[in-house]
Amino acid sequence: MTAATQAPARPAPRPARRSAALAAWRLLRIELRRSPMPLILPLIAALFWFDSYRPSASTPPMWVYRTFWNMGQGHAIIDFGPLVAGTAAWIGSRDGRRGTADLVTAAPRPRWPAQLASWAAAAAWAVGAYLVFVCVMFAVYAGQGVIGTPPWWWVAAGAAAVLAFSAAGFAVGAYWPSRFASPLAAFGAFLAMVMSSQIGFSHASGWALILPTNSNGNFQPDSGMLYPWLPDLPIARIMLLAGIALAVTGLLGLPAASGGAGLRRMAAVLTIAGLAAAGTAVGLAETARLGPHGMVIPALHDAASDRPYSYAPVCSHSAGIPVCLSPDYRSELAGVSAALAPVVSEVAGLPGAPVRAAQAAATYTSGEGQAGQPMTIAGQPPALRMPLGALGLPGAFGWTTSQAADQVRLLFAHAFVGAGNGAGTPAQQAVQAALLQGAGVPFSLQPEVLSLTGLPGWARASVRGQSARGPGPAAGPVYAAARRLAALPADARHAWLAGHLAALRSGRLSLGRLP
Amino acid sequence: MTATGLQSPPAGAAPARHPARPAGLARLAWLHAVSRRVPVALGLLAAFGVLLWAALYWRWNIAGGQAARMFIPLTVEAGPAAVISVTSYGPFREPERAAGRWLPWLRLTMTVLLIAAAAGALAAGAAGGRLAGGSLALLRNLAGFTGIGLLTATALGGAFGWAGPMAYLLVTEVALQGHPTTPWVWAGRPAADRGAAICACLVLAAGLAAITLRGPREALRE
Repeated sequence: MTAATQAPARPAPRPARRSAALAAWRLLRIELRRSPMPLILPLIAALFWFDSYRPSASTPPMWVYRTFWNMGQGHAIIDFGPLVAGTAAWIGSRDGRRGTADLVTAAPRPRWPAQLASWAAAAAWAVGAYLVFVCVMFAVYAGQGVIGTPPWWWVAAGAAAVLAFSAAGFAVGAYWPSRFASPLAAFGAFLAMVMSSQIGFSHASGWALILPTNSNGNFQPDSGMLYPWLPDLPIARIMLLAGIALAVTGLLGLPAASGGAGLRRMAAVLTIAGLAAAGTAVGLAETARLGPHGMVIPALHDAASDRPYSYAPVCSHSAGIPVCLSPDYRSELAGVSAALAPVVSEVAGLPGAPVRAAQAAATYTSGEGQAGQPMTIAGQPPALRMPLGALGLPGAFGWTTSQAADQVRLLFAHAFVGAGNGAGTPAQQAVQAALLQGAGVPFSLQPEVLSLTGLPGWARASVRGQSARGPGPAAGPVYAAARRLAALPADARHAWLAGHLAALRSGRLSLGRLP
Repeated sequence: MTATGLQSPPAGAAPARHPARPAGLARLAWLHAVSRRVPVALGLLAAFGVLLWAALYWRWNIAGGQAARMFIPLTVEAGPAAVISVTSYGPFREPERAAGRWLPWLRLTMTVLLIAAAAGALAAGAAGGRLAGGSLALLRNLAGFTGIGLLTATALGGAFGWAGPMAYLLVTEVALQGHPTTPWVWAGRPAADRGAAICACLVLAAGLAAITLRGPREALRE
C-alpha cells in the first residue's frame, strides 16, 4: 500500500502545441547535426577570400569602394549561391535517392514539416556562414581603418539571396531526386547569376534593378560618407528573394503525400504569399528612379534618408586658395591640394578664377555610372566644387597617383574654360590644352589623360584617332592653336586670357582668334 | 550437418561464372554503368552540347571585355566535367570494394568513355558558331575541369565532385579579369599555350589516377 502511494505520479501530458514545437526543435537539431552543408563551407570560405575579399583589398580604404565588388556587384552572392544550391539539392533529394519516400510518408510526422526541417537546417548553416564570413571581412576592413559606414542593407540582401538559393536548390532535389540534381542546381544557379550580371550591365532602370547582381545605381560614390545608404532597392530585393524562398518551400507542401488537407492549404497560402511578395518587389523596382543619393522607390522611401551628413571640413591650401574636404577624405587632402596647385597658379588673378575649393557630393548616373560629373566653378566669389567621390582616387580601379592628379587638373581646366558637360568648342579645347601644358601635363600625354577610364564621356570623345591601340597623337588644329598659346610668355598669355575669357566661356570665340 | 570438409559444389549446382569472359565483362561493365547512372549522364552531356550550340548560335554574351565573352562557353564546358565526376558516386560502398576486383578498371574505363562522349558532344555543339580558342581550347578546358572534378570526388565524395569544377570556374571568373599569365589558369591562356595544355593534362592525369586507384571518398554525411 505504501509503495503505491509513494510511487511517482505519471506526469500530466504536455499540451499538444508545446509538444509539437519541442518535436520540431528536436528534429531541427538532428538535421543541423547531420546536414552535409558544413562540408562545403571550407571551400566556400576559400572562394570568399579569393573572390570577394582579395580583389577589394587594393581599393581605397572607404566602405563604398571596398564593398562595391563583393556587395554592390554581388560577388559574395556568386561565391555562395551555386555551391549552396547544389548542396541543398543533394539534401533535398535524400528521401528520393534512398527510396525512403514511401516510408517517411507513412510516418506519424507529415512529410512537409520534415522536409522543412531539413531545409531549415541547411539554410541556417548557409546563411549563418554567410553572415559570419561577411562579419569577419568587415572586421578586417574596420581594422584597416576603412572610412564611412558599412552597407548593412546590402548584407541583408545577400543573406536573403543565400536563403533563396538554398530553398531553390532544395526544391530541385526534392522534385528530381537524382545524383545529378546537385550539379544542375549549382550550374543553373551560376548561369542565373551570370545572366543577372549581363542584364544588369545593360539595364539601368525598370524591373532589371531587382536582379541580385545588378550593380546599376545601388552604390553611390559617397554613400555612407556624405549621405546615408538608401535602403529602398535592398528592401525590394529582400522582398523578391524572401518571396522566392517562401514560394518554393510552399511548393514542397502541395503534393498529396506532403501532409493533410490543412497542411496543404497552408502550403498553398505560403506559395501564393511568396509569389505576391516577389511580384510586388518587381513592381516596386519598376517605379525606381535614380535620385542624387541612390535608387529611390517612392513606396519604400523615407525622406529622412535624403538628409546629407553634416561635417566639419578639413582644409589645406593650394596655391593660395583654401581646399576643403569631408573628414572622410582626409587622406586625399594633400594629394588633391598638390594636384590643384599648378593649375590654380596658371589662372590666378583671372576673371572667374576660384577663390576656394570645396568637396561636393558625387552621384551615380545611369548613363555614365559615377563618371560624367565634371567640376564646376560657380558663385560669387567663384568657388570650385569637386565631386571627389566621382573622380579617380589613387588605387581605385587601378588608377595611379599621377593619373588621379592629372584627372583633377583636366577637370579644373575644363571647368575654367566653361566647357560644361560637353567636350567644349575647339577654342575651349585649345585653351584647356594650353592650361594643362602650363600645369605640367605635356601635350604628348594629354590624349592619354583624356582617355582615362572614369572621366566623363566628353573626355574620350574629344580625342582624335582613338583606336584599339590607344588614343591618337596630340595633333590637329586644336593642338596647333594650343601650342601657339602655350608658347606665349606667361604675362602675354595671362593678358590674352583676361581679355577673351568671357567670349571663350560663352562659346563665341573661334579657334582662329587664338593668338 | 556442417559444411566442414566440403571441397566442391554439390552436384547439380550451377558452375561459377568467370567474370573474365568477354560476355561476363560486358555485363559487369553494363551493371557498373547503370549503378553509376551513366545513361542519364550521357543524356546530360548531350544536353550540354546542345546548350553550347545554342549559346554560340544565338551569341549569348555577357557585357564586358574578352574575358566576359568567354564566360558562358566556359560555364558550359565545366558542366560536363561536373556530371562526369558525379557519376563516380557509388551506392554500394564496402561490399563493392571488397568483392569487385575489376572495380578500378571499370572506374577508369567508364570515366574515359564519358570524357570522350563529353568531348564529342561539346565539339558538335561548337559547330553552332565561333568558339573563342577553338576546339583545342575546348578540349584543354574540359580535360582540366574533369581532372579537378575527379580529384574533388576523391577528396569530398562522388556526390560532391561537382563542387571542384564550380569552385575553379569561380576562381577563373576573377582571374580572367586580371589577364592571367600563369598556366594553371588555363582557361585564360591562348589555345596554343603549351604550358596551359600541360597543366590541364597533368590535372586530368592526377584525377584519373586518383579515381582509378582510390575511388571516390565515401562521405560520412549525405
